[in-house]
Amino acid sequence: MSARLALARSAQAVVVIFVVASLAFFLIRLAPGDPFTAALNDPGITEEVRTEWRRSYGLDAPLAEQYVRYLGAVVRGDFGWSFSMQRPVAEALRAAVPRTMLLAGTALLLSFAVGIGVALVQVRHPGSMTDRVLNRTTLLAYSVPEFWLALLLLFVFSLKLGVLPAGGAVDAVMHSRMNWMERVVDTIRHLVLPATTLTIVGAAVVARYQRGALLDVLPSDFIRTARAKGVAEPAIVRRHALRNALLPTITLLGLTIPALLAGSVFVEKIFAWPGMGLLAVNAVASRDYAMVTAVVVVAGTAVALGNLVADLLYAAADPRVRDG
Amino acid sequence: MSPRTTALLACFLAAACGDEPATPSAGDVGGTVVVSAAADADALIPPLISQSSGRQVAEQIFDRLAEIGGDLNTVGDDGFTGALARSWTWSSDSLSIAFHLREDARWHDGRPVTAHDVRFTWELYTSPDVASPAAALLRNVDSVTVADSLTAVFWYADRTPAQFFETTYPLLVVPRHLLEEVPRNRLRESGFARNPVGSGRFRFSSWNPSVSLEVVSDTTNYRGRALLDRVIWVVAPDFNTAVTRYMSGEADVFEMLRPEQIQEMRDRPSLRVHLMPSLEYHFVQFNMRDPRDTSRQHALFADRDLRRALSMAVDRQAMVRNVFDTLAVVGMGPVTRALRLADTTVTLLPFDTVQAQAILDSLGWRDADGDGVRERGGRTLEFTLLVPGSSRSRVRMAVLIQEQLRRIGARVQLDQLEYAAFVERGRSRRFDAMFGAWRIDVGPHGIRQTWGSTGSRSPNGLNYGGYESAQFDAHVDSALAANDAAAARAHFRRAQETIIADAPAIWMFEPRVTLGLHSRLRTARIRPDAWWAGLADWSVSPGQRLPRDEAAPETASR
Amino acid sequence: MRIVPRITAPANAGVVVALGFLSLLLLAAVAAPWLAPHDPLAQPDIVGARLAPPGAAHPFGTDAFSRDVLSRVLYGARISLAVGVLATALSVTLGTAYGLVAGYAGGMLDTVLMRILDGFLAIPRVLLVLVLVSASGSLPLPALILVLGLTGWFHVARLVRAEALVARKLDYVTAARALGASGWRIVSRHILPNVLTPAAVAAVLGFANTIVLEAGLSYLGVGVQPPAPSWGNIMLEGTEQLRTAWWVALFPGIVLFATVVSVNTLAERIRSGPTGAILLR
Repeated sequence: MSARLALARSAQAVVVIFVVASLAFFLIRLAPGDPFTAALNDPGITEEVRTEWRRSYGLDAPLAEQYVRYLGAVVRGDFGWSFSMQRPVAEALRAAVPRTMLLAGTALLLSFAVGIGVALVQVRHPGSMTDRVLNRTTLLAYSVPEFWLALLLLFVFSLKLGVLPAGGAVDAVMHSRMNWMERVVDTIRHLVLPATTLTIVGAAVVARYQRGALLDVLPSDFIRTARAKGVAEPAIVRRHALRNALLPTITLLGLTIPALLAGSVFVEKIFAWPGMGLLAVNAVASRDYAMVTAVVVVAGTAVALGNLVADLLYAAADPRVRDG
Repeated sequence: MSPRTTALLACFLAAACGDEPATPSAGDVGGTVVVSAAADADALIPPLISQSSGRQVAEQIFDRLAEIGGDLNTVGDDGFTGALARSWTWSSDSLSIAFHLREDARWHDGRPVTAHDVRFTWELYTSPDVASPAAALLRNVDSVTVADSLTAVFWYADRTPAQFFETTYPLLVVPRHLLEEVPRNRLRESGFARNPVGSGRFRFSSWNPSVSLEVVSDTTNYRGRALLDRVIWVVAPDFNTAVTRYMSGEADVFEMLRPEQIQEMRDRPSLRVHLMPSLEYHFVQFNMRDPRDTSRQHALFADRDLRRALSMAVDRQAMVRNVFDTLAVVGMGPVTRALRLADTTVTLLPFDTVQAQAILDSLGWRDADGDGVRERGGRTLEFTLLVPGSSRSRVRMAVLIQEQLRRIGARVQLDQLEYAAFVERGRSRRFDAMFGAWRIDVGPHGIRQTWGSTGSRSPNGLNYGGYESAQFDAHVDSALAANDAAAARAHFRRAQETIIADAPAIWMFEPRVTLGLHSRLRTARIRPDAWWAGLADWSVSPGQRLPRDEAAPETASR
Repeated sequence: MRIVPRITAPANAGVVVALGFLSLLLLAAVAAPWLAPHDPLAQPDIVGARLAPPGAAHPFGTDAFSRDVLSRVLYGARISLAVGVLATALSVTLGTAYGLVAGYAGGMLDTVLMRILDGFLAIPRVLLVLVLVSASGSLPLPALILVLGLTGWFHVARLVRAEALVARKLDYVTAARALGASGWRIVSRHILPNVLTPAAVAAVLGFANTIVLEAGLSYLGVGVQPPAPSWGNIMLEGTEQLRTAWWVALFPGIVLFATVVSVNTLAERIRSGPTGAILLR
C-alpha cells in the first residue's frame, strides 16, 4: 500500500472528525434552556444568580465566537469545564473512556471469537440441522432489543438470583481495599452482565456476516482446486476459505464500533457503568454542553479511527485495493 | 422578597413522626453506611450547593455555628444547640448576636477555626461573584465583625423572630486559609471543590464523579468522632439500579422508595422503611395569562368557576391511592401537613363530577358536535399539561388526570418535557397548565413568591400561573406578621381557604418521605428536613456487621 | 466431491412464518378498534382493577392505570408500525436522493457530500437522536417520526451512492449520456432502478431498527407521549412493576421481539449477498 493512500485516508479521517465536532456543537445548542436552567425545584436560585453563572462560563458570548473558541480548544484537546460534574471534561473522559473501552473491547473480542466460531461450525455442513438451528438462534439474538435484554439480565441475575451486582464498574465500597486478585474478580463480576448483553447481539451479527462471507468464498476457484487435490474439507475451510473470508471481517471491525458505542448508551445506563454512554445520557439531561459535545466528538473520533484502521488493514491485505 | 416569609413558614414545622430508634452507645464505633443515591452531589463547596444531593454530603464535612433542634423551631434560639459556636450572646436590642467559637475546633488540616473564618464565610455566601443560592436568606445581615479570634458578631438590619435561624441554618463555615486566594467566580474549578476541608465530624475522603463519594470519621474531632468509620454514597443513574442496590443489600440507605418496594419489603425482614411527612407538595397549576401574550388573560383559566369545575372533576383520593398507595396524601393548598401552621381541617373542593359538569354547562361549555369534548363560541375545552418526564409519579398522575377530565368533556394534551425545558417553560410563562412541585424548605423562598401577587408581577417571580388575590396576600401578610402562633394559624387558615376556593391549581398530593434503611443500622433521631442530619451518631449493630464494615478506612486517621 | 449449496435463507418455513406473523400484525393493527376487547385509554377502576393478572376478562392483564394491556398492545401496533414505516420511508427517500446525487454527480460535490455523511455516520444514531430530542423539548408523534427519519438515512445514502457509482459506468448509461439525455432522465430512468434493491433491503432493516429505537427512547422517557400506547411506552410503564406485574412489560416485549425477528427474516431473504446492510443498527 502506498504512503499516499494512507495519507489520503488519514486526511479523510481528520475531516470527518472536524465535521463531527461542528455537528456536535450546533446540535446541542438547538436545545432550549442551558445547564443553569436545571436547578431543581429550588425557587431560591434567582435569575441574577443564573445570569452570573452564565457569564462566568462564557455562555453569554455570541454563538460564532463560542464556536471559534471551541474549535481552537478541541484542537488543543481541551474540552472545557463540565458544569454537571464539577471538573474538566477531559478529566471526566480520562476516567470514562477506559471503562467504555474495557466494556466495549471485551464485547468486541468475545463477539468476534464467538461469532466466527459459530460461523465456522455452521459452514462445515451448510444447510444441515446444526446450521439451521444456529442460523435461527443468531437471527433471534441479533433481533433482541438491547435495552430489553439488559433489563432482563439485571432482574434475573442481580435481583431474583442475587448472584451478580446490580451495577457499577467495580464494587464502590470494597474495590480499593482489595488485593489485585480480588480486584480482577470484582471487575469481572461487574463486567459479566453488561458485556454479555453486548456480546449476545454482537456475536450474532458477526456470525451471520462471517457465515455469508465464508459461503461466498467456498465455491471459488482455488478452493475447488484444493478440493480436487483431495484436501480434507475441514482443512479447506480453515486454511483457504477462512483466510479469504476474514477480509470482509476487517471491514466489519470498523463497522462494529459505532454499533457497540450505541449499544453501550443503553447498557451503561441500565447497569450504571460509568463510561461514555452514561456520561452522554447524563450530560444530555443536564444540558452539559461541554460534556455532550466532547462525548460526541470522542465517539465520532473512535469511529473514524476504527474505519481508518479497517481501511488500511484492508488495503494492506487485499492486492486489488493495494494496487488499484 | 423578605427572608422572613420562609423562616416563619419553617418555624411551624412539626416534629417528625415515626419510630424512635434507640440511641447508640459509645461502644458501637465503626462500620460503613452505604447510601444508594440516584444523583451525584451537585457541589461540595457549601455556598455553591443548591441540591439535596450535595447538601447531604457537605453537611457531614462542614459545621454550622449552631444546629437546629429536632422540632425545627426557628423562633429565637429555642432548641438550637451549639456546634462550632459554644455559646452566643444577644445584644439588648437584638440587632446583633455574638457567637463564641469553641477554642478546640480544628479544620481537618489541623488549623484552628477562628472568627475570621466565620466572617470570610459570610462574605463568600453574599458575594455577587459567588452567586450563592443561599444569599437571599442572609439579606437581613448587614455585616459580620471579628471581636476577637474566637468571637464573630453578626449585625442585623431588622429584628425578626427568625433572625437566629436565618444566620445559622444556611451557613456552613468554610476555611479562609484555603479559599481566600481563589477568585470568587472560579470556586467551582478550584482544587477545594473536589477536595474540601471542613471541621465536621466526617472528613472528605474521595469523590469519583457519577460513581461514588466517600467521607470518613474525623477521629480527633472536637465534637467527638463520628461513630461510623465512613459513609459512602454510591450513585446510580437509573431508579431501578439504585433501588436494586438497596433491595439486594449492597446499600443500607435509599431515600425514595415506592409502593412496589414497600410491598416487596414485607418479605425482607432485613429492610425497614422510615416514613415522615415531607416538605414537598405537587400541584397542577393553571396559567391565568395567555401563554402567547402575557398581558392578556388566558382564554380558559382566567375563569375561576372553570378552574373549580376542573378541580372537582378529578378524584384525587383514588389517584393518590393508585400511584402512591399510602405513601402520599391529597394536597390541601400550598402547604404540607408537616407545617404546624397548616390547618388540616380546612375544607377542600369536593370530588363531584355532577357538580363539575353542571358548572361547565352553566358556563356555556357544551358538547354540541358530539365528539366528546365541550366547546363554547368556537373554542374547544382543551389544553396542554406540561409534565417533567423525569418524575415518573407526576407522569402517571397526569395520565390519570387526562382520563378523568376526558370523562367530563375536557381534552388534555400531555407534554412530557425534559426537566430543564420544563422549568424554562414555567419561567417564561409559556404554558396552559403545568404539573409543578415546590419544596417548602428552610431556604430563601416562600409563599408570597410562589403564590402571591409579588411573585406574579416580578419577571423573575415564581408565581408562574399569575394567580393574584388581594385577599390571599393580606391573609398571608397578617399570618407572617403575627407574633403568636394561634393568631398566625388563624390568619393562615383564611389564606388557605381563599386559595383553595379560588383554585389557581389542583392541589394534587404531598408525598411522604420514604426512607429505606437496613435494619442493621441504629439511627439517631431523623429530622424531616434532612434525614442525614444525625449520620455522625448512627451506628451498625455489632452482631450484623458485614465485610464492608470491617475494611480499614482508606485514609489514615489523624 | 461434495457440492456446497449457496444458501441465503436456509429455510423457507421461516419466511412463511415471518410473513404470516407480519400480515396478522398488520391486520390486527388495522382492525384494532374491532378486535380490542376494551378502550385502550379507559381507566375503569384505578384503585380496584389495577395490575390485574392475565385472565378471561383481560388476556394480557391490566396495567397500573387499570387499562387492558391486550387492547393497548393492539393499538400500540398501529403507532409502533406507523412510526417505523413513516420514519423509514422518510429516511429511505432522503438517503436515496442523497446517494443518487452524490453518486451521479461525482467529483468535488461527491467528496463534500460524502465527508459530511461520514461525519453523521460516525456519531452513533442514538446519541444523535438524544441530542435532537432534548433540543426539541417534547416530541409529538409527527416530530418523533421526523427525528427518527432524519437520523436514519445515512447508511441508505452510502449504499445507494455505491450502487449509483457502479451504475453510471454501465454501457447503456454512458450511451444515454452520449445521446444527450438530461441528467434527470439518466438518474430516474437508468440509475434509480439499479439502486432499488439495496434501498429496499435497507428499508426493511431500517424499519426493524427504528421500532427498536423508538422503544428504547421510550425506555429513556423521550419516545411516544402518554397516554397513546406504543410498545415502547407500554414496556416502560411495565418496567416499573416488572417484579410485581410482569405481564405489562412482557407481552409488548414479546410482540416487539417477534416483529423484529420476522422483519429480519424477510430482509435476510431479499438480501443479495453478505453486504454490510446487516449492520444498520
